Amino acid sequence: MIQLSYLDYLAVEGKSWLHRLSPVVKMFGVVLVLFGVVTVRSIPGLLALYAVLLSLFLVSRIPLRVFPLTLYPLLFAFFFIFISGFQFYFIGLVFLKVLSSTTSVVLLLATTPYPAIFAVLGKVLPSLFVTALFLTYRSVFILLNIFEETQHAIYLRGGFQWRHPWRSVVNISNAFGHLLIKGIDASEEMYESMMLRGFKNKIHYRGE
Amino acid sequence: MSHIHLPDGILPTWLWVSGFVVAIMVWVIFFRLIKREDLGKRLPLLGMMAAAMVLGASVEVIPPVYHINLIVISAILLGPSLIFLATFVVNVILALFGHGGITVIGLNTLILSIEGIAGYYLFRLFWKVLRKLSLATFLATFLALVVSTFAMILVVSLGTSHYEELMHHEKGTIGLESGKEKETHHEQPGGETEVNLNRWIKTIALPLFFGWILEGIITALMIKYIHRLRPDLLRLETQKA
Repeated sequence: MIQLSYLDYLAVEGKSWLHRLSPVVKMFGVVLVLFGVVTVRSIPGLLALYAVLLSLFLVSRIPLRVFPLTLYPLLFAFFFIFISGFQFYFIGLVFLKVLSSTTSVVLLLATTPYPAIFAVLGKVLPSLFVTALFLTYRSVFILLNIFEETQHAIYLRGGFQWRHPWRSVVNISNAFGHLLIKGIDASEEMYESMMLRGFKNKIHYRGE
Repeated sequence: MSHIHLPDGILPTWLWVSGFVVAIMVWVIFFRLIKREDLGKRLPLLGMMAAAMVLGASVEVIPPVYHINLIVISAILLGPSLIFLATFVVNVILALFGHGGITVIGLNTLILSIEGIAGYYLFRLFWKVLRKLSLATFLATFLALVVSTFAMILVVSLGTSHYEELMHHEKGTIGLESGKEKETHHEQPGGETEVNLNRWIKTIALPLFFGWILEGIITALMIKYIHRLRPDLLRLETQKA
């Protein structure tokens, strides 16, 4: 989640042809990939899909340090393999499905600024939902800033130490409590400034 | 952490489509219950609490099995109607980072909102009966997590026949057409051929139990902290804890 701001920076500053492609086309592409992930049940088919996505990743000149983001969900897929009794074919299928869907989504996020994504979503989803989505996305950045400050405060109070579990839990809880209070204060200020700008339960996007 | 961390394409289509249909229906009902003015005022708070849940999901308490999700505390602050919209939004954002598939957003929303709504009402109930803030929060969080985990296990178990189909689907290519391909059940060289949900449940049970206790304690301490600084946010009947 910490990489969110970096992804956003890449989406805005990137100059590849994938960055310049219309957000509608890219989002349609993600839907197509998801359709493939849901319906294709052969390893060669999924391998081909993943290869296409990997080549798009390289062509769009996204830095390699973003690539581990596409591997992160494998952690969760790993637990699902206990259901199958460690069957290789099934594990391969699950892992390729995970990699394909995540790579497509990371490609979208790293090449499309989020207001552009929300503007497209606003055309098909209820405005209230898209507004909530936008405010949440915005709030993640606000909270990340507060989180950085809070990390210093936790560190000064002893941080997390295995030798003192109770004190550590209290420190973490107070830090999260502090994060919430600060976040709520920020949300109240945000609401007031939005009201001053004529907010009426809907955010309008400029066609960029 | 009681939502499904399953990737896309693993759950049967009927199941995740039903998840979306039910989630949308529930959302429409809750939407009618919320007052318009109240909604406008609380949207930024909703966004902030949803963002806190997203951040909470990135803090692994017992890596990689358990992360805190802050649903119950968000439900206490937002109320039962808004927590549904908040969980919907959280699941969309988490799915964008591969934290559960995009197709399972509907099901995850239902599971997490069960946790939130149960947590909200249990908190109110325990507060009324016990009048002890920390204990009421701990019990409400712990029980809400138990309820939603059972809901998650139920959903995963509903797809058993589909997992078996996937495991035996060596030659098949496209999932929509499966009549003949279902017959080609082979013994796989890599291991067992039957779905074993019990093993999966046993693998996750112990870390989950510790996670429930830990999240209960963290939530209780957070509520205590919030009560100390901003008691108005909790909207308790009496401000005496």
